[in-house]
Amino acid sequence: MDSLVIAGKSFRSRLFIGTGKFASTSVMAAAIEASGTEMVTVALRRVDIQNPCDDMLSAIDRTRYQLLPNTSGARDAAEAVRLARLARAASGIHWVKLEVTPDPYYLLPDGTETLKAAETLVKEGFVVLPYIHADPVLAKRLQEVGCATVMPLASPIGSNQGMRTKDSIAIIIEQATVPVVVDAGLGAPSHAAEAMEMGADAVLVNTAIATAADPVRMAAAFKQAVEAGRLAYEAGLPPKSTTAQASSPLTGFLRNE
Amino acid sequence: MSWTLKINGTPQTFEPSEQPATLADLLKQLQMDKAAVVAEVDGQVVPREHFAQTVLRDGQSIELIRFVGGG
Repeated sequence: MDSLVIAGKSFRSRLFIGTGKFASTSVMAAAIEASGTEMVTVALRRVDIQNPCDDMLSAIDRTRYQLLPNTSGARDAAEAVRLARLARAASGIHWVKLEVTPDPYYLLPDGTETLKAAETLVKEGFVVLPYIHADPVLAKRLQEVGCATVMPLASPIGSNQGMRTKDSIAIIIEQATVPVVVDAGLGAPSHAAEAMEMGADAVLVNTAIATAADPVRMAAAFKQAVEAGRLAYEAGLPPKSTTAQASSPLTGFLRNE
Repeated sequence: MSWTLKINGTPQTFEPSEQPATLADLLKQLQMDKAAVVAEVDGQVVPREHFAQTVLRDGQSIELIRFVGGG
């Protein structure tokens, strides 16, 4: 399979993993391992002063995995830029998954604020991977301001509904000159395979793995699905037909015509 | 005179004997591993290597942040 290249960095795995919602740090680490991923997302939050707990980053081998801090919780461009700067100060990492989600119910991204934040962060030297609605026009605008990828949602974050925005994602894939990462809402390995068969460059999965009965086995299932989907895309899917196209020869039947 | 520092949005009072001289002292008092924390003082990000040189004053607003799991 081809490697995926983002901002000059090569990735063999096309599955990115989110680290939220895992029952424990050890399960998270085992799921990351089983997934074969090379890119994991993390979030920034206030320390609980009464209860400062362990550093979850210590469970992630940063020589093997590209850490991708997100700006989750940001409600506008200013908050997202602040979070990205804090993440860079905390980790030295200048990659950021840019997300601006003012609406707490559907967590849909605010395109206007995302574009504004992306322009600022690109100028400050960040590698920006913006989380967006499956909006082909916005995807182009983000690409034009220098984003390293676009990350359209399949369906709302954590909803497990799969590829509800399939038609728009197909247009984004057709037009994009940067990698397209389908993010959010992929609830089953088949959803991930579907995105990859369409030509998505990668997928990002968190909830479907972290909240599965067995997150480690689910991570392995997503790994295989992503690989299968990519392989099928590279192999070239045959065209669809509304009528049957016989697989066996239509001559030499054992009957008299 | 006692100090008030707003830490992660909550005002906390420090008597003269317990006032932290620097950000590094504050983290030590709060028993936090400075390697795991990122800080903002009055809205300005403070790089970790400057924690020990960042002198604190009464009335400042301090944010202490860390990485957690997220998607």
